Amino acid sequence: MTVVDLDDRDAQDTVVGRPRYVLDQHIEGELHAKIVRSPHPHARLDGVDPTRALATPGVVAVLTGADVSGDASINATFGRQRSDQPILAVGTLRYAGEPVALVVAESIEAAEAGREGVGIECRALPHVVDAEAAGAPDAPQLHAAWAGNGCGEWKLRYGDPEQGWREADRVFEGTYWSPPASHVPMEPHVCLAAWEDGRLSVWTSTQAPHRVRDDLAAVFRLAPEAVRVQTRDLGGAFGAKGQTTIEPMAAVAARRLGRPIRLELDRDEVFLTIGKHAASVRLATGVATDGRLLVRRVQVVYNAGAYALTSPLAAGQGLLRAPGPYRIPHVEAHVLARYTNTVPSGPFRGAMTSQLAFAYESQMDEIASSLGIDPVALRRRNLLKDGDQYATGEHLHQLHFGELLEDAARAVEWGTPCAPAPPGRVRGKGVAVMIKTTLTPSRSVARVELAADGSITVRSSSVEMGQGSRAALTRIVAQALGVQEARVSVPHPDTDRTPFDSSTSSSRTTSSMGTACVRAVDDLRCQLTERAAAELGVPAESLAHRDGAIGPQGGGARITYEHLLALGDPPLVGEGLFESHGGLPAMDPLDVRGFSTVHWHQGAAAAEVEVDCETGRVTVLRCHGSAYAGRVVNAHRVRQQNQGSVVFALGQTLMEELVYDEGRVVNANLAEYMIPSIQDVPELTSTAIESSDLEAEPHGVGEMALPAVAPAVANAVFHASGARIRCLPLTPERVLRCLRENARADGGSGG
Amino acid sequence: MLETCALLRSNRDARLIAGGTAVVLMLRQRLIDPSLLIGLRRVPGLDSITAASQWLSIGAAVTLQQVADSDRVRALAPSLAAACQEVGNVRVRNRATLGGNLAEADYASDPPAVLASLGAVVCTAAPEGGGRRIPVSDLITDYYTTQLTSDEVVLRVEVPLIDGRRSAYVKYRSRSSEDRPCVGVAASLVPDPQGWVASLEVVVGAVTSTPQRMTTATEGVVGARHDEARAGAVAAAVAAAIHPIADGRGSAWYRTQVIEVMVRRALAMVVA
Repeated sequence: MTVVDLDDRDAQDTVVGRPRYVLDQHIEGELHAKIVRSPHPHARLDGVDPTRALATPGVVAVLTGADVSGDASINATFGRQRSDQPILAVGTLRYAGEPVALVVAESIEAAEAGREGVGIECRALPHVVDAEAAGAPDAPQLHAAWAGNGCGEWKLRYGDPEQGWREADRVFEGTYWSPPASHVPMEPHVCLAAWEDGRLSVWTSTQAPHRVRDDLAAVFRLAPEAVRVQTRDLGGAFGAKGQTTIEPMAAVAARRLGRPIRLELDRDEVFLTIGKHAASVRLATGVATDGRLLVRRVQVVYNAGAYALTSPLAAGQGLLRAPGPYRIPHVEAHVLARYTNTVPSGPFRGAMTSQLAFAYESQMDEIASSLGIDPVALRRRNLLKDGDQYATGEHLHQLHFGELLEDAARAVEWGTPCAPAPPGRVRGKGVAVMIKTTLTPSRSVARVELAADGSITVRSSSVEMGQGSRAALTRIVAQALGVQEARVSVPHPDTDRTPFDSSTSSSRTTSSMGTACVRAVDDLRCQLTERAAAELGVPAESLAHRDGAIGPQGGGARITYEHLLALGDPPLVGEGLFESHGGLPAMDPLDVRGFSTVHWHQGAAAAEVEVDCETGRVTVLRCHGSAYAGRVVNAHRVRQQNQGSVVFALGQTLMEELVYDEGRVVNANLAEYMIPSIQDVPELTSTAIESSDLEAEPHGVGEMALPAVAPAVANAVFHASGARIRCLPLTPERVLRCLRENARADGGSGG
Repeated sequence: MLETCALLRSNRDARLIAGGTAVVLMLRQRLIDPSLLIGLRRVPGLDSITAASQWLSIGAAVTLQQVADSDRVRALAPSLAAACQEVGNVRVRNRATLGGNLAEADYASDPPAVLASLGAVVCTAAPEGGGRRIPVSDLITDYYTTQLTSDEVVLRVEVPLIDGRRSAYVKYRSRSSEDRPCVGVAASLVPDPQGWVASLEVVVGAVTSTPQRMTTATEGVVGARHDEARAGAVAAAVAAAIHPIADGRGSAWYRTQVIEVMVRRALAMVVA
């Protein structure tokens, strides 16, 4: 029986359908836009014929790439790391589903009808879907500026790998594959854009209002202040809304037509807008016979898709996380991202890390099995401990991998046999651990306003997307200020009113924006103390805050916060800044070393599974997620984040894959792209490992258990059945094939 | 009902809509573009489940959840109740109707195979007394294609009742718990007075364009005792006789493996 926190306003609102999303938003006089998409994975674009579309009743205009590139006041491409993505395609089509034209009409229906009438004249070119193949000398090239389809390359060398290979008693090698996948937020991407007096105003379903603001300002060559971006609660995001995607299209059309534009993606278009990086991870590990890891070589190829988005730098994030949470004296790592003719890849909950953890944690169990060492014991022997040096050369602190491992193992009663399975079925358990960096450098600013009526408003650009950021910031501010949570409100982000934030991503909000909020409260309290000191005629140092009031430290008459503001006074505003420096941008990509991240994200998972030996179907009986949380702000929310991580990850573990055939996505719908249903959710448990230091910073918990889930399940499948699957998802067919091969091999050797 | 048929006749591209779980999806995917949607909700007489001595009759507009929950169906045709309970999720089952399910003729669906295994018959209405009785095993002719003419409406499904019949449906999903079947096997066994097999029907769904009624593969057990070895032989014969399709739920090779397993499991259920 789950106990629901009845003080949870957000949960109650969501259950009764109260929140209004950008999807619910309309602007008077709006026109509706629909996107015409490329039918080809790679083609020369000769022309777009809008004649029939323009003859469709209700259609107002058809915009093409030529319209955009022909306008000297607009940058026709966008992209923060590489400005390689055209607002609408010009000259070349680089993936099936790429926006080619925008049909604008008085109604959605008219825009849809018009979309059918747009002709695309093009000549097909050879295409490449696989990122390994995209590196071949004769592979189709996507971008003239980026030879070899390179979209990021990072290298690291630590210790003396040659020595390590010489010393190793055994070497284990394997290649582990994670397919492209999709975020599947319930709310599709949706954007409304309007211009007034040379100022652009946008409503969009985004995780990063300031990023969108800056990108749009760059497109239109405006000062950032000339663009206003507002958002509301998101109906899910998971990384899909962390980048600028459809906003430039809507804004260009709004400017050209002089009317507000509303652009809402259909479900299939969400699949064609942004996805998860497919990755192949080649991993070689040299070990001593006693199980010590001595040396590791990891080579990763991420599939960036047709446009860079965050891939060049994200590949480096992958590199930082690729060695795994182990003490390994010698490491060599090489991480690439390559362009291919596929849907652009971007951040995806557990970004860049799930692919890696699947590799190193699967291999960990392979090593354990081969050496005859218990998988938990093998990890225990090798996990990073406080103060250990990591492959980046840093000494890491606040490490809790040991506790996470023991917790995960305990959760599935590691060492105790599984209950007997029904005939024809077998059961097994598995564990896995993961390490991740957070966005560094980054910046968050918060303002906390106290009004004369005693109400407190938190101005923050952190986006509520179901993760509970509003509840977390409310609690942080209420506790820091010593007032009831009911007095605190957190309005939606609005770049005209809420201060700068890098983005709501990378599990950083509670930690980064939370810190900014605490500092804003400190600032506000200082101002209140000064006022109170003046009012009472005593020195500020003699005063103390308690329960929303200030008075002499020793006791005596106190004065409430609201009394310090006369009615009609403007609110008193405290401001706080969180800022981190360093990280990847300060490093040499081909010789990575140094300070990587403000926090090391640490997580673990454990699973017990049942495998049907006749069909290969894997049923996860129970699954546990653990995260290191630093100081817990809201235990219930942390539990939900851990459980959400597990359920989300089980999708990619067991069933999710974006399937391409001849360069086109063939399952861009929810009948063929499967996500877990409520009936697929196993018995869930979770743990938040807390710091013993009561003053510890909160750590993000949004994705810590997630990357460990797939290898924990894969290891449990191996433990149960002997089937070692190195390709995700763990489909019944893959498991059955492996069981059959194993049976044949056994038959051969035994016969 | 006559009005419905007349509307269909005068609007050749009209579509009937009952629960809408299929039609709305097709509309949204822009697979169909009808000029007219004819709602069946207020057409009387399509929403009841009745039983006589020889037939169980289920109205075309009865929802799959109503079929699954019906005491009559559970007692007289338990495999049908079981199959309907396995479709999609409760939200789908509360909308989708049995008549609509058959008329849609989705190859990856549960009820058609079961109805075929039970010898069920579809009763239709058409203008000028053109109503027919069509065995479910003949109704579906190809992917999303039936014998029904464009002005013909399904009225009800009749399931013959046979004393002592034992029936079972096994649904195998290879992906999410709400997925359509990768393989569905319906078995229906009528024992003779000795308890040996008087007749056996095995119908395999979701593996080809239409439900596969396996007559040759089951011949060997008629008149014999039903045991594990014979069931295994039937399962192997069924798997060998079907050339399954490949789709996102499994390759042809994989389906062949699973068909054999699921036939064996279905037969074990009808012998118990």
